[in-house]
Amino acid sequence: MRPFVYTQPQNPQAAVSAAAANKQARYLGGGTNLIDLMKEDVERPTELIEVADLSFNDIKSNGAGGYTLGAMASNADTANHPDIRKNYPLLSMAMLSAATAQIRNMATNGGNLLQRTRCPYFFETSMPCNKREPGTGCGARKGMNAQHAIFGWNDQCVAVNPSDMCVALAAIGATVQVQQAGGKTRTIDFADFHRLPGDQPEKDNTLQPNELITAIELPKPIFADHYYYLKIRERSSYAFALISVAAGLQMEGGSIAKAGLAMGGVAHKPWKLTEAEAFLSGKKPTQENFEQAAELAMRPARTLPDNEYKIEMGKKAIIRALTQAYEKNA
Amino acid sequence: MDTSIGTGNPIDRVEGHLKVTGMAKYSSEFPVDKMLYAQAINSTIAKGEISSIDISEAKKQKGVVEIITYKNAEKLKTPDKKLPPLSTTSIQPVLQSPQVHYYGEYVGLVVAETFEQAQYAARLVKIKYKKETPKIDFKNHRADAYKPEEESDYSRGDVEAGLAEADQKLEATYNTPIEHHHPMELHAVIASWENGKVKAYASQQMINDAAVTISNTFQIPKEDVRVIAPFVGGGFGSKLHAKQHVILAIMAAKKTGRPVQLTVTRHQMFTNTNLRQHNEQKVSIGAAKDGSLTALAHEIVSHTSTYEEYQEPCGTVSKMLYKVPNNKVTHRLVPVNLQTPFAMRAPGEATGSFALESAMDEMAWKLKMDPIEFRIKNDTQTDPSNDKPFSSRLLVECLRIGADKFGWDKRKMEPAKNTNGNWLVGYGVSGASRAAPYQETSSKVILTLKDGTVLATIQMDATDIGTGSYTIIAQTASEYLDIPVGQVVVQLADSLFPVTPGSGGSWGAASYCNGARMACQNAIKELKQKLNVGDEKKMSVKELMTGNKLTTYEAQGTAKPSEAFKEHSVYSFGANFAEVWVDKDTGMFRIKRMLNVGACGKILNPKTAFGQIIGGLTMGAGMVIAEQTRVEPNFGNFITRSFADYHVPVNLDMANVEVVFLPEEDKIANEMGVKGIGELGITSVAASIANAIFNATGKRMRDLPITPEKLIMAGVEPGVA
Repeated sequence: MRPFVYTQPQNPQAAVSAAAANKQARYLGGGTNLIDLMKEDVERPTELIEVADLSFNDIKSNGAGGYTLGAMASNADTANHPDIRKNYPLLSMAMLSAATAQIRNMATNGGNLLQRTRCPYFFETSMPCNKREPGTGCGARKGMNAQHAIFGWNDQCVAVNPSDMCVALAAIGATVQVQQAGGKTRTIDFADFHRLPGDQPEKDNTLQPNELITAIELPKPIFADHYYYLKIRERSSYAFALISVAAGLQMEGGSIAKAGLAMGGVAHKPWKLTEAEAFLSGKKPTQENFEQAAELAMRPARTLPDNEYKIEMGKKAIIRALTQAYEKNA
Repeated sequence: MDTSIGTGNPIDRVEGHLKVTGMAKYSSEFPVDKMLYAQAINSTIAKGEISSIDISEAKKQKGVVEIITYKNAEKLKTPDKKLPPLSTTSIQPVLQSPQVHYYGEYVGLVVAETFEQAQYAARLVKIKYKKETPKIDFKNHRADAYKPEEESDYSRGDVEAGLAEADQKLEATYNTPIEHHHPMELHAVIASWENGKVKAYASQQMINDAAVTISNTFQIPKEDVRVIAPFVGGGFGSKLHAKQHVILAIMAAKKTGRPVQLTVTRHQMFTNTNLRQHNEQKVSIGAAKDGSLTALAHEIVSHTSTYEEYQEPCGTVSKMLYKVPNNKVTHRLVPVNLQTPFAMRAPGEATGSFALESAMDEMAWKLKMDPIEFRIKNDTQTDPSNDKPFSSRLLVECLRIGADKFGWDKRKMEPAKNTNGNWLVGYGVSGASRAAPYQETSSKVILTLKDGTVLATIQMDATDIGTGSYTIIAQTASEYLDIPVGQVVVQLADSLFPVTPGSGGSWGAASYCNGARMACQNAIKELKQKLNVGDEKKMSVKELMTGNKLTTYEAQGTAKPSEAFKEHSVYSFGANFAEVWVDKDTGMFRIKRMLNVGACGKILNPKTAFGQIIGGLTMGAGMVIAEQTRVEPNFGNFITRSFADYHVPVNLDMANVEVVFLPEEDKIANEMGVKGIGELGITSVAASIANAIFNATGKRMRDLPITPEKLIMAGVEPGVA
């Protein structure tokens, strides 16, 4: 590892100021991703600003019917919180499918939103990667891309976002609270938080320099009864999703009042299936409707040479997740 | 204190307390004065030549003591001509030229006062290369395939004729991917060079072989090399011989005049400590209507490196497991720009049995025969590969008893007919065999009598790589001296001790224990002779010591295979059963139950033996679930870089595992009737699971691992309703 300075600010404002003072600084939460990337020489910060000890780690009702998840609360504490389990079981289920118990104990909610891709070209500094080193090209585009994107990619980057938590957040909807320099704050809609590669694949999200995530706001829970997080992976634990689907259904009088549907392992950002959600609204929870929703969802998919299987797997995963969501507490 | 006497008891490991309290010292943990730390540098191209090395920035970093590259490395013994096939004692020259043969090859070494300093400075060494286009995937270079120098083709009868007379024929190709050994403990060494003598705490499976390699590489007498490895955290074959990092550390110690510690990183465990190669195996089988095999051909194409030859003998099992008059095995190798493959747990059997035992299942399906009955139909008590009788062979018993215990009668012959909600349920079986070798082994026993109690210390250069050697050797000495296990101390893995073949190839248990037995028996015989009493007279060791007025006595013993051993084929046999539940949509599966029935001689300690088998079963299950090393086809590097991407099974993947050892007395194998079990457990496990997946889904999966994408994309076999 390269040498770095370790800073422990006393409050969020001091953290943001410290970041503003050093372009090569990074915030340190649980460190479960950043420290790995430093060991791989992918991230080379000259300063780590410890934010895990700052006191925004509450998980509490926000007074508007929703909940606030502190950015520094651990993934484990969040997923196992009784209120979250009761009101947002889809989120809890997705979070508990991620990584390992040890990693979930360390990883923070803010950090989860900032997890970087697992693309092997990103991890190996001797290979080209526009995300790691803009302008070097995309190794995966012409190399190994079985685990890569089928939505929203371009020749510059075919990487996928690896988070499970974010897939559930995309299905549920949320906003991200951010602290800026000078004491200002900003709210980002979760759908706008992550971005597609475009011509800046090095940017995973829409945070401005030095901005610090302080909380995630969840809306009033509507998917507490009918939900499912389906994660298809190579082993039962400690593996990233080949494809995952977060499905939430709000049922009213035997029909779907509202559907929340998002996919993981398919795009540079958690992929919200807006068209399928709209289609399901007001429909009966039948197999035929679930199949049509899956068709609609996968229609814009564009496969790479090694990942054609994701179309078939994606359809099956959507139908299955919707079926299980409906059958849960049905 | 353990008061049990003798072998056969499921006692706890005698070194268990040391291990769970952190007192057991592994190679990198020995306190050594003035020790330096080394970090090896890996090439970032797969083929070419170093064109320049800039060490200026690295050299000026705090704590950096030495930087070694091919430019200033000691000239070592290098092979004269084309290298002979790789063996455990092969010399290991390193940093001898600017040539690069594979991605990750060692190209330099930084030695510093601390580990962190060495690691950081290693990153600052700037190396430029003249790149050439590497050959990575052997399937793109089939024209380069050659017949290995080391003769391995085999045939008996006439396979073409046997296939022609068959009622049913099968030709199928199976693939097993590159895998890595990945023992829990990283390869590590602390080496010192003093007055021309080498001392190395090195995580090795074979102490004597390591000493030979070091002595040959540096051209110093073997007596001047001491290798010590009292505890080794697994090897699986990767620690059979002393690899380049051992040589690097010794080279650095010699150059700096200080002891040097070098721990191979987990990432370097992919690039620098060998691998199991990708095997493409074509199996052709012919069978008569009644199930008798008429022909069996097993043709293997694989890869070796461009600078050494290693072939995994995947055809081993096909030559001897079943009675078939016409049989052929061929191996072909394609040199590619990857490091040399080398033996990994059950080399040949683990991979070869996947092909053979899958093909047997396929043929049983074609014949509409129960796969157990099909195997039993082709049982033989004579090894068809050499016409020698088996010393003992209980394969049929393993299959029958296993079927009974497993509830095989609940299996539906037709695939995809057993469902449970979203699950498709399948049962699979496979037969297994693994040679039970035994090699010349020496041992010393030191008896002491103090306060009326006899203590016995056994010394030998054997290793305990997590297998339980300490415990079974203590139990053996206890048995032959007739004293409690608690009065035996076992000291292992120091080249000052009597020579053994080390741990590998499933010969450890039989060799070590018979070696220890000989030392103990000799001690008693010699003490009786001193008292002029006959061999038949029963006297305790204590009486013998007291009678001889001795407070201490040493004896040596050497055990070696008998003539009878050489006249027989000596194997362990087993059967694997698996119940697998496959998700109908996601392609994910769960191994619900596994049963392994083994006939593997005398079980010295049922507890450590169970550990060996479940370890093997887990590794075998891993071959099916997800274990594979992925190689980037253009750059030649492994994109599976850590345990996050190199998927070994997790607890949730694994089943309820039951292990049954059939009572077996095989005195031809050796006097104690001990057969190794370190490798039997992994053999054919993959086939039993793949066969269960076929039974569950009707999909025949011939390429490991069986990942969700492969299962989702696969179609059912023709003929499956």
